[in-house]
Amino acid sequence: MQKLDKKTLIGIRDQLASYAWEDAEITELVDPKLGIITGFQELLDQLEFLRKVDLGSTPPAGDISTK
Amino acid sequence: MNTPLAFAPITELSRRLRAGDVSTTQLIDVYAERIERYADISKAFISLDLEAARRKAEMADNSANYSPNYSPDNNTDNQLALKGIPYACKDLFDVAGMVTTGGSRVLQDAVAEHDADTIQAMNQAGAICLGKNNLHEFAYGATGENVLYGTAPNPYDHSRLAGGSSSGSAAALGFGLCAATLGTDTGGSVRAPAALCGLVGFKPTFGRISTAGVLPYSWTLDHVGTLTRSAADAAILFKALLPGARDISNVDLQGQVIGIPREFFFARCDSEILDSIDALMVFLRSAGAELTPISMPSMEHTRTVSLTVQMPEALSFHNRYLEERGHLYSQDFRAGLALGQCLLAEQYIRAKRFIERYRREMDAIFADVDLILTPATPVIAPPIGAVEVSVDGSSEAAGNAITRYTSFFNMTGHPAITLPCGMHSAGLPVSAQFIGKHYADEQLLALASRIEAAYDFTLPLPELS
Repeated sequence: MQKLDKKTLIGIRDQLASYAWEDAEITELVDPKLGIITGFQELLDQLEFLRKVDLGSTPPAGDISTK
Repeated sequence: MNTPLAFAPITELSRRLRAGDVSTTQLIDVYAERIERYADISKAFISLDLEAARRKAEMADNSANYSPNYSPDNNTDNQLALKGIPYACKDLFDVAGMVTTGGSRVLQDAVAEHDADTIQAMNQAGAICLGKNNLHEFAYGATGENVLYGTAPNPYDHSRLAGGSSSGSAAALGFGLCAATLGTDTGGSVRAPAALCGLVGFKPTFGRISTAGVLPYSWTLDHVGTLTRSAADAAILFKALLPGARDISNVDLQGQVIGIPREFFFARCDSEILDSIDALMVFLRSAGAELTPISMPSMEHTRTVSLTVQMPEALSFHNRYLEERGHLYSQDFRAGLALGQCLLAEQYIRAKRFIERYRREMDAIFADVDLILTPATPVIAPPIGAVEVSVDGSSEAAGNAITRYTSFFNMTGHPAITLPCGMHSAGLPVSAQFIGKHYADEQLLALASRIEAAYDFTLPLPELS
């Protein structure tokens, strides 16, 4: 997986149905300064790891069973 | 000896109200005076409706349950325990006729037409809402910092955070401004500020208490919870919020099997916090509980899973406001929402499948234990403005550290309660977290009440100037 590029996110903003995020917000994702989101790239790296985990037929979480 | 009224738990206030030692009107006056006195420091409230509270107080004082013939010794009806008790709610809850701001500029004109289900339940129990508490904007963040309404400080040290996102709810109790508060908990937003401020924070089993009429942050993770001065008070609120709740009073620590997950939940933790938890464990053993080590699911990617669910869900809700009012959101929240826009649907679904896996793994663990014990937080309340905190030589974003031990149980949906169990040498409270089985909320609350009644630890009141 290639490193996340700001142009990719701008492409998502401009070419997919999306809210018109400002450049500052897009920049925060690739070069985080605010501290709450620690970086989209790091998140994507972890998601790539999780993508390779076999979850079998586990469904998405829903309500909690009362059993 | 009676506690000062402003810091008395509901159990004591209820007894004193029934006994005629104090009236609800006097109680409202005590809190109202303190709310005004500490307004500039506490930053606890966004809005107040003291006029309506006083009207309800007069009605409560004149009602039949306060007659001299009523016996406080026979007060076994939980409904009566909250009658005339002043409380407050995080400003995500709809209270009819009041603005629900979410702590944001975005909704400063959003007057609620109806009460949230939980507010209705509190009204039916006779509790009186004083107003609405400050918070991290739309519950996005555990530091409780809010540029619009100010940052609620820790009552034990005003240079430190109360914690969030239910920051004003914790400050309102910590400064003695009401008897209990309702909050929301998506990653620890009730339990963590309660823990940092020496209060009891409780979140129920996911879905057990209605979130209708509460501004959502993440439908998969949001829980309505309570902040109180005791576990006994939390049990009273739980029964009011869920009238069909079971009545469990006869519980014993003897024979309870308590799981201790050392690997993640005791790692990178302040040593004095660990000492307090160790002392609590000694007590639990002496009371007959069996403490046993357990292995939890891998925690390595749990924050990623949580974020991958949170941000698309938050964006999905806030999309309704973005076009018209997007410029009114704070910069950090907008960046979080932008992240939600850039995640793929498959990533979101996969994250929700991981959550289901976590739940199943926890169910297997709970087949062998009754409770799980962890520290509530790995750190004491960080200084206001701190971006990072350091524990054992490793740095971490302050908000991440505050909720490091709590957020997993929002995904698994287990009921969890934080109880103060020590004072740090820095003069700040230290707390433990107990987690129970799904739908064993009543058992958890009853055991927590038993522990607080028997454990030889009393938290000093905060010294307020």
